[in-house]
Amino acid sequence: MANKQTYWKGEEELLRTKDFLASQKNEFHEALPLDEVLSENNLGLSANRRDFLKFFGFSIAAVSLAACNKTPIRNVVPYLVKPEEITPGVANYYNSTCGACSAACGVTVKTREGRPIKVDGNINSPVSGGGLCSTGQASLLSLYDTERLAGPQNVKDKTASLVEWSAIDADITKQLTAINASGGRIAIVSGTLHSPSTLGVISDFTAKYTNTKHITYDTIGYGGILSANLSSFGKQVLPSYNFDKANVVVSFGADFLGTWISPVEFTKAWASRRKVDGLNKESKIIKTIQFESNLSLTGSNADYRFPMKSSMEAIYVTALYNAIAQKAGVAQMPMVKTGELAGSAIKQSAEALWNEKGAGLVVSGSNDARVQTVINGINLLLNNYGTTIDLDNHSNQYKGIDADFAQFATDLSNGNYKAVIFYNTNPLYNSPMADMISAGIKKAALSISFATTADETAIACQYIAPDSHYLESWNDAEPKAGLFQLTQPTISPVFKTRQAQESLLTWAGLATKPLVDPFANKTILAQKAEASIYYLYIKNKWAAMGINSDATFNKALHDGVHKLDAKVATTPAFSANLSAVAAELDKMTINANAIDLVLYQNVAIKDGSLSNNPWLQETPDPISKVTWDNYVSLPKALAEKEKIANGDLVDVTVGSKSIKGLPVFIQPGQSNMTVGLALGYGRKGKIGEKGEFEAIGKNAFPFVTYSNGNFNYVTNGVKITKAEGNYELAQTQTHFSIEGRDLVRETTFNEIKENPKAGNDKMAPHLYTLWETKDYKKDGAPNHHWAMSIDLNTCTGCSACVVSCNIENNVPVVGRAEVRKRREMHWMRIDRYFSFSNVNKINYEADLFLKKDYEGDRITKEKGLEAIDAIESKKADKANYDHWENVQVVHQPMMCQHCGQAPCETVCPVLATTHSTEGLNQMTYNRCIGTKYCANNCPYKVRRFNWFRYNDNDQFDFHFNNDLGKMVINPDVTVRTRGVMEKCSMCVQSIQAVKVKAKRERRKINDGEVKTACQRACPAGAIVFGDVNDQNSEIHKLFMNERSYRVLEELNTQTAVKYLVKVRDTETAKKA
Amino acid sequence: MQVKSLLVAFLLFLSLNLFAQPSGKPLSVEGAKGESLFKLNCASCHAMNVKLVGPALQDVHQRRSEEWLLKWIKNNEKLRASGDKDAIAVYNENGKAAMNVFENLSDDQIKSIITYFKDWTPAAKVAVVVDPAAADQGFFSDNTLYILLFLIVILTVVLLILRRTKNQLQTTLNDVEGITETEVTEPTASQSKLAAFKKKSNPTIVKLLVGTVIALCLAVYGYNFGATEIAVQQGYAPEQPIKFSHKIHAGDYKMDCKYCHTTVEKSKQASVPSVNTCMNCHKGVQLRERYDGEISPEIKKIYAAMDYDPDKPNGQQFGPNPKPIKWIRVHNLPDHAFFNHSMHVKGVGLTCQTCHGPVQAMPVIQQYATLQMGWCINCHRERNIDVENNPYYEKLHEKIKADKNNKNSNYSKYYTKDGKINVTAAQNGALECSKCHY
Repeated sequence: MANKQTYWKGEEELLRTKDFLASQKNEFHEALPLDEVLSENNLGLSANRRDFLKFFGFSIAAVSLAACNKTPIRNVVPYLVKPEEITPGVANYYNSTCGACSAACGVTVKTREGRPIKVDGNINSPVSGGGLCSTGQASLLSLYDTERLAGPQNVKDKTASLVEWSAIDADITKQLTAINASGGRIAIVSGTLHSPSTLGVISDFTAKYTNTKHITYDTIGYGGILSANLSSFGKQVLPSYNFDKANVVVSFGADFLGTWISPVEFTKAWASRRKVDGLNKESKIIKTIQFESNLSLTGSNADYRFPMKSSMEAIYVTALYNAIAQKAGVAQMPMVKTGELAGSAIKQSAEALWNEKGAGLVVSGSNDARVQTVINGINLLLNNYGTTIDLDNHSNQYKGIDADFAQFATDLSNGNYKAVIFYNTNPLYNSPMADMISAGIKKAALSISFATTADETAIACQYIAPDSHYLESWNDAEPKAGLFQLTQPTISPVFKTRQAQESLLTWAGLATKPLVDPFANKTILAQKAEASIYYLYIKNKWAAMGINSDATFNKALHDGVHKLDAKVATTPAFSANLSAVAAELDKMTINANAIDLVLYQNVAIKDGSLSNNPWLQETPDPISKVTWDNYVSLPKALAEKEKIANGDLVDVTVGSKSIKGLPVFIQPGQSNMTVGLALGYGRKGKIGEKGEFEAIGKNAFPFVTYSNGNFNYVTNGVKITKAEGNYELAQTQTHFSIEGRDLVRETTFNEIKENPKAGNDKMAPHLYTLWETKDYKKDGAPNHHWAMSIDLNTCTGCSACVVSCNIENNVPVVGRAEVRKRREMHWMRIDRYFSFSNVNKINYEADLFLKKDYEGDRITKEKGLEAIDAIESKKADKANYDHWENVQVVHQPMMCQHCGQAPCETVCPVLATTHSTEGLNQMTYNRCIGTKYCANNCPYKVRRFNWFRYNDNDQFDFHFNNDLGKMVINPDVTVRTRGVMEKCSMCVQSIQAVKVKAKRERRKINDGEVKTACQRACPAGAIVFGDVNDQNSEIHKLFMNERSYRVLEELNTQTAVKYLVKVRDTETAKKA
Repeated sequence: MQVKSLLVAFLLFLSLNLFAQPSGKPLSVEGAKGESLFKLNCASCHAMNVKLVGPALQDVHQRRSEEWLLKWIKNNEKLRASGDKDAIAVYNENGKAAMNVFENLSDDQIKSIITYFKDWTPAAKVAVVVDPAAADQGFFSDNTLYILLFLIVILTVVLLILRRTKNQLQTTLNDVEGITETEVTEPTASQSKLAAFKKKSNPTIVKLLVGTVIALCLAVYGYNFGATEIAVQQGYAPEQPIKFSHKIHAGDYKMDCKYCHTTVEKSKQASVPSVNTCMNCHKGVQLRERYDGEISPEIKKIYAAMDYDPDKPNGQQFGPNPKPIKWIRVHNLPDHAFFNHSMHVKGVGLTCQTCHGPVQAMPVIQQYATLQMGWCINCHRERNIDVENNPYYEKLHEKIKADKNNKNSNYSKYYTKDGKINVTAAQNGALECSKCHY
């Protein structure tokens, strides 16, 4: 029994706090507010039985009367001229490029009757590899956001806020010409642009207005790597990281599976090296070692995770360099402080890396060029260039040079720019230099923003010339050298917006010029030319690249991707002076006793540019499971020392800057003497609880510092002071707790090489059953038996599947207040379990004492509370919480398990949930009367009750209540009303669609033809779906796999979902 | 649900003697089989005594030999290609409109159809005119309700009488056995009866009984009303913005349904045709001859929708001020029911008329079927799936063949007595919720 660790979801579960115990024993999170509801009508009654009956009777009569209206007349309005490619009722797919961040994943957009309704990864694109992160998926909803600007605005002219394009074009062109003629400088500030055509437009614009300077500003910068690569190799670029070629990766705070540079691509590559099936004894999987302060997604998936104080990262990195230099027999870096850190962690990492020379990878999330230079040095020593790191086929995904932006901010605030244009950037919100820029904008004669909504920077400008959403736009991209992707419109512009490129061309006087026809086929061109000037511009640009016929261009458009042959990766010459770097690093003053503030990006919200997206806000953070807020992530030891509890409010102060009233969340795995705080929050939007006046969370960008030519996201010396008040975070972590049963299984790589069944100790199911064996489960049954396999080993917990499921199945957003009441509607959740790496370290006696009592079990709520009281009083003050800074994590996606013998089905009094002959547990909304018996009887707690009608309800202002937002609804899935139960259907709409297609075409269904939404989204390929009765299918093989097991198989529920045991590449097997 | 159905079953039982089965048409068993096949496969183009797309089929069995009919129906193209004179003549007589090929029908099935031709007599009515009232052959007509109420009252009275008789007998028995009741003053005979009744019949029970009867009647009526009336729009034939006649287009001119409803084999929606489909013909067809040289007012509406000027036909698709036509939707399914046209038309091979009725005879389109779930389910129960010819069902087919003689196997039940494979859609899971609701 290698698997006898203690798993827990949150500290309240581990420590069995009183509140937790109380809430676990209740069916509902809180008492049903019946009295409140009844007295709310100001009837002056506190309801008694007779009143209740009166209301009941009245309601029935009222409902009956209300039902007696005429059937409404429904219209059908066919097209006048039906577009050839559109068949009503059949989806069209277009390959395009995601515009949510500059990683530029290739996407496939699903449209129905001209409306994009789903964005998935494009399998042709090496960046997305067929998966897509939660942010990219949810960016779809921003297209249908009523907050988008409906047309150009003249902000300063209050009398006419909406103006015609021609009017502002004339104004702007006149002013630009005047400014340029008088020698005034013009700045275009943008996020990273790697579109060859957009860069072409900017250089054309610059040719016309010769005093123009283009400044790139990335919200979360990688300037440190860029500068380091310039000084080390003379190339100011990000390299391509090939995680798929690495056997060992050591990361210092780089959350490459969550947010760092190109997480979808990296997840894909990393997961491809975590697959353990079919490996022999010599095979290796990618051993992952993470040093970090905040428990990141990568840290949660690492084999070894070492807590690190981020301000001391330079010391760690230098120590690693020296350890490897020693092995390599080259000169070590002189560094006095190194001695303090000669820990085993560094030694172990150096050992692992040295053993895998040329197949290792060291990365760092630091934005300090000096640290990154040392990292370059380490990778060079290990011969990693040319294999795992590729500078010859470099990445263009982030190009912002921090110093350039700092210089711009200074110049602007000094009035040195007469005109400034903001494109795809919002520095007044997300820059630490917001004050300088704000003052500077006022000094500029002309200020323009291309923002799609009236964001912080846009409303400070004179004009807003709203850019179109990427799903309405033509564009191209070159995320990596030699990899070209196209963006194509999938819907006509919803509003009177215009692409920024077209605006720039217009203002440069180039939009009216007849463009040279690059391709031979003039007729097609003539037709399309009416649609978009920029489309022609792209074609011209691509013609210059050698894509000069309609056939090749259309192929690139169809595939979404055009790849040039990759260059041979080489080892570059190293020109940095490490001794000088060391000397400089040595001058740093770090107070080891001061607390570090480590700013980070949440996996869903990221830099906050999509913070007004309810799908993202309601996606639980993969680690803390908190929704709708950012919070101070506190280590348990510090919290105990400062007597701060979960939900307390604290003031965070760094130097002169301070944020008051931030809620606290005690995060297991948070390194001692560090606190984490997520960026990307604090923006106002209509999805906030009190409409547009309330910001969601608090803005932490002012804490970003600028030093040594780079933006810095770590600060040594932060003050945390307890403030008045309390705040309940909307957290899902212990919702639907399954009470410590054997749910996750894990083993080590060494063990599984010896014994493929390691860690998979089968629980003998109770074999007695009420049912006959269903036909579809018998050997050789001709039916389908739909089933799913989830590999816990490659699942990183990134939550892309959760968002994808919500979009595909019209799952409503319920808002912060409802999440607090445990009423989130997500059909799919990812359970995250903590455990301590070393069981012996648990020295919290009270916990163990209580557990004995509690687990022996079925003690009543009252007895439990008594026991807790007794323990609380005995609780040792000197309990040591230092070991809380390191925990092991297992992520387990959980959705309806489609039990073959389903407990929910037997208790439904109206047969609203039944079993199909294909193994699906069907949920029929129109039959459901909402008894919730099924949810109570479900051992997996995957059923969700609709407490409200979430669509058409202004109490839930999350885009499902207006006509524009409803355009995102999947027409193939019922929009559920209140009072019914719902749950994962295994995307039965997709199954039905494929079955109908196969029957129509008189053929069998191919393996892999049906793909569920979660499966399509998963960048790691952890989810496989198919017909397990098809002997040749992948799912059949996975069901036969030695690692596969059913959750709670002892209940003999015979689920159609099986999990594969997690495998950690740790040296020793853990045995408790 | 169950209580309701029990109740209905009970009432049904009560009323059985009142409703003799209608004697029906004088069709043999074979002929009835043929009739359903005829309706399914032939009725869209043929009627017995009227020429539709194809000729009237009354007495066709006398005009042609059975052997010839078999060949013709099975594959008329082959027969024509073989140079059969009769076949070519029929083809030419009917405007060279080729008849569909019915290779899927077995000889026996075709013979049943021919039997139907033989059995058919002109007295039978061909459903050319749809009478929604006639289609409503549900059990619960208004008359039935009154009869039921009457019955219930009679039965209640009988019950009361029986009860009184029993009480009377008991009293007599008591008298005989010498058990005397408490002394009472001698009442008159009628008074005595009344008093006895009052005494013996518990007023609460009487009230309850009467209440139950009323409640039962209301419940039955309510159930009946709810099940058959609410949200059922059978016969719904709203006035459309353009007086488009399916009778003229599909009936008189015999246009294929799929010419306009193009997506019916590809999509779950059959789709109302886009206006440019109308324009394909109506650019030329203006019916000026019928309107003193003016364009037909209905065709003008098409032009208005496209903003098309017939006097200045230009190359453009439509003018600058088009106004899409807002047709009134006739066939409405609730949002939670997902019906797929392509599955039924292409996958199963049903004709449009199976569900939409004789559209080719409808000047104004109307809802022919109830479109209730029961109506869907019935069809799924009755119709077979094409296990033998559709490779999608290959595995099932093999299993059925393999288990033919295995009495314990569930798959052997798919054989009919004459050894043919007969799997209904329902047996293959077509009654499951998730087939249509998701």
